[in-house]
Amino acid sequence: MKCENCQELLSEYIDGELNAVEAADVQTHLGMCVECAELHLDFSSILSFCDKREVVSEVSEPNLQALWCRIQNEIENEVKPEIAKELEIKKANRTWLEKLWDRTWQLSFTQTVSAVLGIALLSSLLTIVGVRNYSATNEFTADEAMSPTLFERVLGRIGVIETPRETREKRLVEQQTAIDYWNNRVEIRKAQWNSHLREAFDRNLQEIDQVVDEYTRILEENPQDTVSSEMLDSAMNEKMELLKGFSEL
Amino acid sequence: MTAMFKKLLLIFTASIFFGTVFVSNSSAQKKFSTTYTAQKNVRLQLTNRSGTVTVEGWNKDKIEISAYLEAPAANIVPQNSSGTILINVVKDNQGRNDVGNVNFNIKVPYSSSVDIETRMGNLKVSNVSGGLVRANITSEGDIELTNISANSVSAENIIGDIFFDGVIKANGVYRFSSTKGNINLRVPTQSNFKLVATAPSTRNISLGSLSNAGFRFLSDGKRVTGSVGDGSATISVTNQRGTIAFLAR
Repeated sequence: MKCENCQELLSEYIDGELNAVEAADVQTHLGMCVECAELHLDFSSILSFCDKREVVSEVSEPNLQALWCRIQNEIENEVKPEIAKELEIKKANRTWLEKLWDRTWQLSFTQTVSAVLGIALLSSLLTIVGVRNYSATNEFTADEAMSPTLFERVLGRIGVIETPRETREKRLVEQQTAIDYWNNRVEIRKAQWNSHLREAFDRNLQEIDQVVDEYTRILEENPQDTVSSEMLDSAMNEKMELLKGFSEL
Repeated sequence: MTAMFKKLLLIFTASIFFGTVFVSNSSAQKKFSTTYTAQKNVRLQLTNRSGTVTVEGWNKDKIEISAYLEAPAANIVPQNSSGTILINVVKDNQGRNDVGNVNFNIKVPYSSSVDIETRMGNLKVSNVSGGLVRANITSEGDIELTNISANSVSAENIIGDIFFDGVIKANGVYRFSSTKGNINLRVPTQSNFKLVATAPSTRNISLGSLSNAGFRFLSDGKRVTGSVGDGSATISVTNQRGTIAFLAR
């Protein structure tokens, strides 16, 4: 058998598709011809490999869901540390209010009761202050409502709120400053007034001064006298207006 | 004959004396007068130094200003500016050492607003029913407001009486204040108002026909508060060293 004939039949020989006579001829030639024998080995190796691949592909079909799952896991494993890092940075930059807001509060019974009492106390205080302010603007409120309560007195003592006396003294200082200013202006002009005008001015100023002295004295004895406090304020304003009016003459 | 001569001499001397006085008086007083055509709701704003101011409402769309100037005669420069007649004797005579009294007699349309003030002297306003009537005396003088029907009325002085005779309008604001004098208010008994009347020194607050309205006396009688009717208007009366009295209109 020639090499050409052998190589043509080699593929079928390997596959076992030749009859016995042809297969014996090919086998005899392979025994004698080195070149055809190497070719036979190569072919056999290739075919054997192909057969294995086919088997594998038949046995384990690709599971796409599992494959994507694995891909996803791989991605997450790479991405997660980066997200965690960003979150750490954000957490570090949060304001105190955000930190307070995010915090989980777990209070004991005592703490809860204390918090409720604190809120109630604060609400009461705000309500009292609000009502007082409303009353102060409403001049038709009963006189008694204007006098400070015990609670307000206590708050005044400890310096939380301004006492009526402190408010009055502060106002008096402001009024006295204005009075001093206008009084200086009057003193400059006064020498040029006629006697009639000068006498009238002195008479009225004296009248107001008497009122101021009277209410100052009453308030020293009873600082809570709201009517006298109002009258003193009114008299000081009148004095200011008198001086201002006459400083223009 | 001697007796006859004496009589003639007496008549002659007397006529010379009174004639001289009359001439000197007539030469000492100057008269200023001017008239403006005005809208019904015109506003008169007058600031006087000293003297009497009388403002009277009339049924004409005109403002008639007459002023009697005592020596040394003051300068008067009225201004008519966008519905307001302005007269400021204080400003027009600033820097002058001596200025005599100026006695104004002004007629305005009934529905005018009147805002007058003087450093010294009496103020009288009558028959006015505009939005505002304000009469302010910086020092001493009486204030007389008669037949007034305005939403806002204010009268203030230091030494002198205040008399108001008028209507208390719904939602109106009425304020009367004096340091030494008597405040008499003549208002309709069917008025609706809230009242705060304070006379701390005398504690003499006479409610007259309003005494049945259920007012409250506060601070040992220094102040009276309460409401009449629906209490829509507000009346505030303060007399530091004088009396307050309500009269039925």
